[in-house]
Order: sequence, then C-alpha cells, then structure tokens
Amino acid sequence: MMQWSSFVTKAQSLIDPANFSLPVLTSTDRNPSKASLFRQQFRLPDSQNPMQEITAELILPIPHGTANRDRSRDFDRAGNRYVGRLHISERFLCFSTQPTSFAPSAALNASTNWAGQTHGTGPFGNGFTLPLCCVRRVERLNSLSHVFSLALTTWNGALGKTQEPNFVPQRFTIELVGSRQACERFCDGLKRGLRECMKDIESLRVVVNDCYSEYLLSGAKNKTQDENNPADVRQPPDAGLGMIFRYPGDARKLRDRSKMRLWGEYFRENGRNVTLIRQPTFHKLIRVGLPNRLRGEIWELTSGSVYLRMRSPKLYQETLAKFSGQESLAIDEIEKDLNRSLPEYPGFQSEEGIGRLRRVLTAYSWTNAEIGYCQAMNIVVAALLIYMSEAQAFFLLSVLCDRLVPGYYSTTMYGTLLDQKVFESLVEKTMPILWDHLGKSDVQLSVVSLPWFLSLYINSMPLVFAFRVLDVFFLEGPKVLFQIGLAILRINGEELLDVQDDGSFISVLKSYFSRLDESAHPRSENPKLRAITRFQELMVVAFKEFSGITHSTVTELREKHKNAVLENIESFAKRTSIRNLGPESKRLSMDDLGVIYDRFYEVLYNHQQRQRVIDEEKKRQEKKKIERTSVLGPPVDREVGRVGLGPSPTHMDYAAFQDFLAATCRWAVSDSSGPSRKDSTAEPNYMGFRGFNRSSSSLNKPEPADHEFMQRLYRKWATDPSEGLSLQNVVNGLARLKGPRDIMNNINYFFNLYDDTGNGTVDREGILRISETLLFLSRRGFEGTVAPSQPLEELNGGHDGEQIDNDKLSTEERFLGSVSAFIRRCFEYADPSHPENAKAAAEKETNEKADEAADKLGSFSIGEDEEDLIEVDENPNPDSATGAPDPEQDEQEAHNRAASESANLALDPNNPLHITLPTFRMVILADELLEQFFDSFFPTSFHLFDHPSHPASIASSSLSSNLTTFSNLNIPKPQFSASNNVSVAGASGGIVPPGKGLRGVLDNIVSDGIRMAAEVKKRMDEAQRDLERSAVHREDEDDEEDEEDEHHPHRGEATPSPAIVGGISSWGAGAYGADPERRSVREADRDLLEGAEVVSVRGRDEASLLDSHDKQEEQESKADGHAQGSNGGSPQRSESPSTEHGTVVSKVVEFES
Amino acid sequence: MSEPTSTNTPKPSSSVKLVLLGEAAVGKSSLVLRFVNNDFQENKEPTIGAAFLTQKCSLPTRTIKFEIWDTAGQERFASLAPMYYRNAQAALVVYDMTKPSSLTKAKHWVAELQRQASPGIVIALVGNKLDLTNEGSNEAAGESTPAEGGEDEATNDENQAEEATPGDARKVSTQEANAYAEEENLLFFETSAKTGVNVAEVFTAIANAIPESSLKTGRGAGTGQATLGGGRPAEDTRVNLGERAAATPKEGCAC
Repeated sequence: MMQWSSFVTKAQSLIDPANFSLPVLTSTDRNPSKASLFRQQFRLPDSQNPMQEITAELILPIPHGTANRDRSRDFDRAGNRYVGRLHISERFLCFSTQPTSFAPSAALNASTNWAGQTHGTGPFGNGFTLPLCCVRRVERLNSLSHVFSLALTTWNGALGKTQEPNFVPQRFTIELVGSRQACERFCDGLKRGLRECMKDIESLRVVVNDCYSEYLLSGAKNKTQDENNPADVRQPPDAGLGMIFRYPGDARKLRDRSKMRLWGEYFRENGRNVTLIRQPTFHKLIRVGLPNRLRGEIWELTSGSVYLRMRSPKLYQETLAKFSGQESLAIDEIEKDLNRSLPEYPGFQSEEGIGRLRRVLTAYSWTNAEIGYCQAMNIVVAALLIYMSEAQAFFLLSVLCDRLVPGYYSTTMYGTLLDQKVFESLVEKTMPILWDHLGKSDVQLSVVSLPWFLSLYINSMPLVFAFRVLDVFFLEGPKVLFQIGLAILRINGEELLDVQDDGSFISVLKSYFSRLDESAHPRSENPKLRAITRFQELMVVAFKEFSGITHSTVTELREKHKNAVLENIESFAKRTSIRNLGPESKRLSMDDLGVIYDRFYEVLYNHQQRQRVIDEEKKRQEKKKIERTSVLGPPVDREVGRVGLGPSPTHMDYAAFQDFLAATCRWAVSDSSGPSRKDSTAEPNYMGFRGFNRSSSSLNKPEPADHEFMQRLYRKWATDPSEGLSLQNVVNGLARLKGPRDIMNNINYFFNLYDDTGNGTVDREGILRISETLLFLSRRGFEGTVAPSQPLEELNGGHDGEQIDNDKLSTEERFLGSVSAFIRRCFEYADPSHPENAKAAAEKETNEKADEAADKLGSFSIGEDEEDLIEVDENPNPDSATGAPDPEQDEQEAHNRAASESANLALDPNNPLHITLPTFRMVILADELLEQFFDSFFPTSFHLFDHPSHPASIASSSLSSNLTTFSNLNIPKPQFSASNNVSVAGASGGIVPPGKGLRGVLDNIVSDGIRMAAEVKKRMDEAQRDLERSAVHREDEDDEEDEEDEHHPHRGEATPSPAIVGGISSWGAGAYGADPERRSVREADRDLLEGAEVVSVRGRDEASLLDSHDKQEEQESKADGHAQGSNGGSPQRSESPSTEHGTVVSKVVEFES
Repeated sequence: MSEPTSTNTPKPSSSVKLVLLGEAAVGKSSLVLRFVNNDFQENKEPTIGAAFLTQKCSLPTRTIKFEIWDTAGQERFASLAPMYYRNAQAALVVYDMTKPSSLTKAKHWVAELQRQASPGIVIALVGNKLDLTNEGSNEAAGESTPAEGGEDEATNDENQAEEATPGDARKVSTQEANAYAEEENLLFFETSAKTGVNVAEVFTAIANAIPESSLKTGRGAGTGQATLGGGRPAEDTRVNLGERAAATPKEGCAC
C-alpha cells in the first residue's frame, strides 16, 4: 500500500507541471489563494508564503536506544520512508505526504488535495513543519551520485541549559526528487532561508522552554536529582490551571500515565514540540486522547499557534502592559461573564483562574478589536486555560478566531450562522429521513446545534469528552465539529424520530450527553463490546461513518450558503437600524429609508474596497515583502466591507459623502463622467489613454462633483465633521429636506446653510455663493419640477421629444434670469451691517418691502427677467467679454443703480451688508421660478425611493436624448481643463460642434449668467483692492473698517479652506479671467462646474488658486493611480509580454543577421 | 395538542412557546430560573445562543406548559434572535430598571417583535432588579410568599450601596415604562428575580393573555387570528394583580 502510493507520487512528480516551466494560466482571482491554502495546510502564520517546492523522500533513521518491546509498531520505526512534497517558505521547511502543490504553475486541484480525506492525519499528513531556525546543520550526502540527498540535524533537545541524559541529536535524511537544476535551486532557497532565520533561535529557545515536553524529556522529573541539587531544579512549565486545581476527569480512568509514557517514547524517537516529525503513531496517539500535561502543547502544535508565539514570544505580556488600565466595551462585557465561565471547575471559582481568564480575554480584545469579546469565548478560553499557560491560550484563541472558526465570534456572528446552514445541509444530505421529520414537526435544528459549534462542544458535553473532541479538532480542523454533530444525530436518530417539538428534541440530546461515559452496548454478550463507551462509539461514527465529510466539503458548502446567510444578516441589520433611527426618520417613508441605508453602505463599501486597492498598490510600490507588523489579527486574505461580515465603517467622510450625493442627486454628479468629448478635440492619444483608465475603473459609477454647497451640506449634517456622517446624520439631513413638503422649511434650511456666523444673516459673499449654488443645482435641468406658469402647456413637463427643448429652453433661461434678479434684489434689500447705517437701512427696508410686495403683486419678475435674458441673448458671442467691463455689465449696473441706491452700496465693500432670513424668503417668494425651485425642485432633486432608476443613468441617458439642455455641461473632464494649459482650452474654445446650436445658445446663457455674477465679484475685488490701497493712507480713520480690512485680505491670501476659495474664484475667473481671449462657451461651463480649476486669475486669488490647482492635479494623478490599481494594473501587464516579445524578436534578428 | 394530563386533572393542557429578549445581564436567565426552579444563582453561566427550559403554569381553566427560550443578551447575538422568536406566542422583553439604555434596547426588541414575530404574539415588558431600588426591599417584604422570605434580606446587598440615594439605584421610572407599555399595548411588570417579586405573576398574566383560539389550534398556528386585545377579556383577576404591582412603586418613587 505504502509503496504503491509512493510510486504514484513519484510518477506524479515526473509529470508535475511544476518541474517544467510552462506558462500555465492561473486563476489568481480565485479565493483562497495558493498561499493561503499553503498556510492552512501547514498551519503557518499569515506571513508565510510558499517559496519553493519539490518532491522529496523523507528517510528517518532506525530508532536507537529504546528496546523493541512493542512489535506492532515496528513498521513505524524501521527506518521509515515517506514520499511527499517538500516546501520552503520564508521561515519554514515543511514536508507532507499529502500530495499537494502550491507552485504558481500547478493546477488548483492539486493544491487542495489535503482538503479531502486525510485518514486522521490532519491536512498536513505525515511529515514535519520545521521552523528554519531549528535546523542546526544541513549536509549534502553524495553517497550515490544520482541521488540528491540532504542530511538535516536539528536543535531538537539541544537548546536546554543542561545536556539531557542519553542525548542524541535528531538527524534525518531528505532525498530530493527532480532535475539536478531543480534540486540546486531548492537548496539555494533553503540556504538563503537558513541564513535569514539564524537570528530567530533566541525566541525559539524561549518558546521551547515553555513546552512541557522539554521538561518531560530533560529528566527533571527525576526526584533524586531534585533533592541533590535544589537550586538547579527545573520548575515544570505552566501546563494550565490543571496543575493547581487538578485536571478534569479521573487520571487513572483516562490512563494518563501510560499515555504520557507513550508520548515520551514518541518524542524521543521523533523529536518534540517544534522539531516533531509526524508519523502515523502521532495521529493515533491524539485520537485516543492526549495526556493532561501535554494537551496544551500538542494543541499548540497541531493548531499552529506555537508558530505565532515563536514569532513574538512576548506579545501577550506586551499587549497587557500596553493597555493596562484602559477601559473598553469589551472589558465590561468580559467582566460580566468572568464569574460564569465553567463555574463548575474549581479553578474558576478562584481568583487565580478568573484572573487568568480576564487577562487572556482582555489581551485578545485589544489585539483584535474587531471581534473584541463574544460570549462563548469565555467558555472556550476557560477550557484552554485548564491545559495551557495564558500566553499559549492567547495565541491559540487567535488561531481559533481567525482560522479554525472564522466569523464565529465576529460582531455579526456570520460564521456561526453560516456553519449552521452548512450543518443543516449536511444533515439533509446524510440523514434525509430525520431531516424531513424535523421539518414536519417544526423543530429548528440550529437552535440545538448552534451552541455545540459556538462553544466547540465544551458546554454541551462533559468536559472530559469535550476535550477529546478538541484534541482531534485542533489536528484536523473545523470539519471535526460537523462530523461529531452528525454522529450525535445519527446515534440518536431513532429517538429523534419520535420527537415532536423543540423541547423533547433537546431533552433527548441532553440525556445522551449525560450518559456518554456509559457503555454503548450494555446488554451485549461480548465483554469487549460492552466495554465500548458511548463516547467511543461517537468517535467511531464521526470519523468512520462520516469520514466523507472533509475540509473541502465544508469549504464548498460554506461558499454555497455564504451569500444567503450574509444577506439574511444584512437584512436583519438593515431592518433593525432603520427602525432605530429615531423620530426624525419618520418623516421619510420606509422605502426611502431603505434606499438611504443601501446607498449609504454601498458607498462605504466601495470606499473601503478602493482604500484596500490603494493600500495594496502602495505596498506593491514599496516592494517590501511585508512581514506583518502585528503577528495577530485578521488574516490578510480576508474579505472585508460587507455589513454581514462584521464591523465595517459606520461613518462617511466627505469623499464618501460626495459619492453618496452623486448617487442621490443629479446635480452632484460631476460633469466629467460620460464619454469624453475631449478625445475628439485635443491630444487624442493622451486623452484616450486617460479616458480608458477612467472608464474602466469607475465603470458606470457617477463621478461626484465637488462643490461648496456639498461641503456645506456635509458640515450641516454631521454632528462632528471630523468624525464623518453616520447613517443617522444622513437620514436626519434628508428628513429635513424630503419630509412633508414645506417651502418655508426649505427656504429656511437653505438660508441656514449659508449663515456662517449663525446670527441669522448672510453677507455679501454668502449671497453670491447662494446664487452660484442655485445655478449649480439647476445646471442639469429641473426634471419637470419647475415651470413658469405663463405658457400653460409647459406644465405637463416635457420628457419626450425634441420640441420640448424649446419649452425647456425657456425654463432654463428664465431661471437664469431669476437668479440674476435674485442677486440684484438681495443687494437691493440687504441691510447694511454698518451700525451707523443700520437705522437708515431699517427704514429703507420697510419701504422696500412694501415696494417688493407691490412688485410681486404686479408679477413683474418674469418680464424683467426676460429682459435680462434678452440682453444676454443679444450677445451670444461677445468678443469683448473680458478686459473692460462689458456693455451689458454696464447696463446691468446701470439698472441696479436705477433700481436702488442700496444696490450700489452692495458693491461697495466699505459698506458691508447682509440679508436676513425674512429678506431672503421675500426675495425667493418674489420670483415664481425660485419659489418653485424651493417648493419642489430642491427637495425632489434628492432621489430616494421615489425615483427608481439611478440618477446617474438618467443623467447619461439624457445626454444621448438631448432632453436636458444643460446635459452637455457634463461632458468636459475636469482633470483636463485643470491640468492642461490654455491652449487646450483654446483649441476647443469657441467651437460649437454642428448640431449643438441650440445648446450653444443655452451655454451662452449660462456663461453670461456667470459672467454677470463674476462681474459683481470682480467689482468687489477691485473695490477691495482700492480699499486696501487707500487703507494704507487712512489707517487711523475707522476702526470698524479696519476690522473689515483684516477680514478680507485674510480670506483672499491665506485661505484656510481652498475649497471655498475655489467656489468664489470661479466667479472671479468665470468667463473673463485675465485671459484676453474670448473663451469658449464650454470653457465657461467648466468654470462654472468645477469651481476651482481656472486657468488664469487676477490679483490676489492667484496664489491660493494655484495652490488648489496643484492639489487638484495631485489628486487626479492619485485618482489615476487608483484607477490603475483597481484595474489590476492591466495596462502594465498587457504591456510586459509585448516587450518581452520585442526582445525575443530582436534576438531572432540577431541570429539571422 | 391539548392532551389531558395523566392523573386526575382533567384540565386541558397546551404548550406555549415563549422567548426572552433583552440586553445582556438584565437578568433574563435569572427570571427564568426563578420561575422554573424558584431559585437564584449569582453566577449563572451565560447563555450561549439560547437556553431551553419548560415550566407548567396552572390556570383555573387549563394548564399552560411554557417552552421557554432564554436568549443570549450580548448585542452581537441579536442576529440569532429570529431563530428563536420564530413561531413564539409570547415574549418577555426584559430591561434593567437601573440602566436606562436597557429600556431603549427593550423598545427595539418590541418593535422587532411587532413587525417580525407571529402577529398574535403576547408581549410583556418586564423591568427587572426591583430589589436594587427602594421599593424593591419594601415590596419584597410585603408581598413575597413565606417560601421566599428567607431571601429577602439579600436585597441589602453590596450592589446597591454605591448609589447617591442609599439603596435606590432606580434609573427608569415606573411611569415612563408603564406609559410606553400602554402605548404599545404590552403587559407591564416590575420584578426582582433575586427576591422573586412579581416573577410568577408575569408568567401567569402571559398565560392568561394567550388567546384561547391560538391554544386550540396548537403551537404556532395562532398567527393572524387573535390580537393582543382579543386576549384581554380572558384575563381576570390576575391582570389586576399585575397592574397593582406595577402601580405600587409609584407611591414610593423617589423621582
């Protein structure tokens, strides 16, 4: 049998693709990666990766010394040979008889072989997992020239202070099978690894000294020695609370002593702890139950937690020291449970035991804050602490949480729920009759089985038996939990078929567990049969009858059910969190809340994913083989981000909020998304490349705009802007806007957004910003919510066909007029902030209010607005738009002057002014379109459930259908206009592509609107400069003006928030910067839409603008980096083969020549 | 479902699935233990997933066998709860009257049950740890049965000494909780699992509130037929007892 299998393995090795360097396509995307499978098989820490592998034969020496008392085990010891695969990682040399391969070129199925039936050997089979630092010497044996064999000598037993009696160094031989080259390569790798790991020997010594096996073999137990030399007595290492409070169960009945003897023998022949070589006896000895004092050590070894401990032997103590005195939620939770963890065990009725439990749980909660503490961990850790030291339990707990029972103790417990689903489906498959019966009698299996899994049977079975299960569990992995569970049901199957409800189901099993130590066949004639306990029967059924339940069975089923389970958890979480949002949320419908919830978490999820990609990219760039700084912690290849998987971010930063808004509101979608028109205009190659990256990275996700308004919303909604927005914040924010329709509320809300000082006033800057925001919000049209009442047919809001464009056109242009009228009126009716003028202003205001009311009655607004528009329209292409003030601007100004004296005051920075909420409200209500804007457009522009389709897709679809006249605004990409020079803009400047005439006109309207506002701004700036100049001469004139002076330059030069400057500067530079050239319509649009990215600016804004400009560029290049990252670097990858190809070709050419 | 019990009691017996929900360490398991075994353990092993217990409750007209699912209280176990309240006919939502946050959590559970559990589910809101309040000790002395008398002294334990008002750790007023319970149409009690005050009354009131119809049709089939209001007329004197218990603390309420 043995020979046959070795022959097969040899044959396989000959045809192993790893021995040829064939370029085999690997599905690298598939989870889990080869590296993680490798780590799983050999229970290695996350820092380890398979570096090299080769087929090899392990030849063990004929055991020496001990007498051959036991003939039955001769097979094991007579110079056993094992054929398998030898792997080398950064710090380990691993050998396993399980035919596996982790070479990148090997097919995937080869690497998962260990996940199948392992016949009790666990995934790592026979062989060894040797830390490289344990290797003392490697010799190349050249006994036979055609065999490449190495003799390894280890530090086994040689690390202690005193030489052990009868010490013989551990030495064994490995024959490498493969081409000479492959062998040499492997040896080189080994050599390198050995050199690297020399320094680890000190931590090895520390760890090994804590192992009971060292003490056992050192002969320190020898009483006579103790008495002779009491100073030199070696204290036995901590093997758990059991050493103080006795181990559970009757040691004699458990035959602890003879087990101990057998293990001692095994260690002497095969090495102990980390230098142990696994032979079949090893697994058999584990199956029959570990002796008390070695239990902890073997658990540590088979679970691989000892390798973590070796990596940082002091982590446990350091963690405790680092966080000592600190408090956390987890600690509170731990405290509640300390007194109720295995309270029946005497050790946990004492301060000693409880103290240990507290420390281990606390230390772990600090190392893995995501899990923190979960009930049931206390029980598991309490059980571990009976057999191992605190540090050992700490590392073993980490392996449990991360690897053995992943997700069991997470905040959503998805692992627990998932494994219940897996268990149920296994029951259904293996015991269909029982399954049907349970279904019929409405018994839910998982209510019974969940505690089994969650506390690893520790709470369900008497402790002695639970520990036997754990012995096998740590060796063979999570499948054991399933096998035992199935066996329990199978053994009790008949009784369970009589069960009609949960209650009796539970009581059947309860009584079964309480009689596990009884004979399984009490009435049997055969005394041997009678001697078999129910527990033994359970083990036999579990591992014989259900041997077909393998690691891969479990993995596949987990994969199959994972999504359903996560969705369940997520819908529960969603339900709960929506319900708990508080009274404010009641203003929104359930559906709306659902949409907000989904969108909120989707955005967070995407951001997290993006962050991960960025991080990975960063790591890759640093080109560091990252040894993880923290030894513990979630596995590197873990999935993150889904709500169901456990703690995920709960707060949005501003960037995430932008994405959220972009998914909610059309106006928040940046104008860069959509097909790039730039491609066809300038620098097509460059653009094409960038465009490709972008479109592939963000697919159909709308690129969010960045506008001052959005920042204001963000600040308004956040309880603490630095912390970000919680779901509650977002819901409250939207509830205010989308609640029962209330125009006054909306106007107030808007006003408050711009009331920076919080004293109920908005100053000149604020007014300009408001008007600019109005344009920003409306730039994608009104979605039929705003329509002037005059032409009635427009009210049935157009969504179909070209002819509606005409109607639309009038709506849009009217709105522009409204906004310009808004600015004008605001200034007209503004109150001077100057206290001296206050009185006069108050008088004036009352007058004007009356006027205003009269105006409103006469509904003058539309007429006047149209006048404005006509003015604008008359100059669709004003060449003299910049430089000297426009004629129309003059007109505008004249108009203002004519309208009111205070309008002039408005433009004079010497007379600071402000509007109050009543004024603002009045001005809004004075205009039909603005009124409609606030009444319906503004709240409805936040699309929640009421708009089933994605606003972004609407935006892009409108692009093609030309429905929204403003939609062409979203074509230019901000990064190009920002980062490219004027010539690019010039190239596209002034050219209105054919067929876009109508739009062109509209664009002009927009740009003119902006120009108008910009003019106001410019004048203010000029006045400001005048003021500054004059301020030098009349410094002592007016204190209050000085205050103003101080205020303004500050804003202009060293602006604390560049974003705000951007918002303002777009006005200054809008359609007429210093650039004497008449800029194109589209350029102007860009200015409108992008705010900060302006090519040229005048005066004082320049410095700060350039600043923000640079930053912008930086961000863009970063964004591009991300895009590439998320692409998986496909461009580079696709390039490299071609270059290779190139060199090959050139070589060929050389040959030819 | 209704099978006559073996001996001379001809009363019909039916089983009722009851689930306990509430924040961690409010005393859910202790309440059950008090009800089932008339016992109190300081160090109760925490419930993993859920513990299952049964207890009979004898009414004048019938016997109710409670199948009690005592769920784990830690927040992260919340996602397991649907597994346990599935088909439950009654629920005990427990809060700790010395801890206001636990009432908030209780309200969440009530909302969850009202939306997700069987439509006819009878919900009782229970404020536990009355023994830590002023009224607790008075009442325990006054109302407890002789069998429990020995434990009354235990109310003056170390836990309550730290509060500003000596002996009164109450943070949730009876009025507040009662008002909420009335609004949501819940049974309401204030109990002490430690002294046993009101514990049996809670279960009796629930037994009475379970609509006859849902009992006749068997477990889990009471869905959609009877509302809580429908069950109300059936409760007679017992409910008064409960209301009185809830009302008494008002007089002694320090706040």
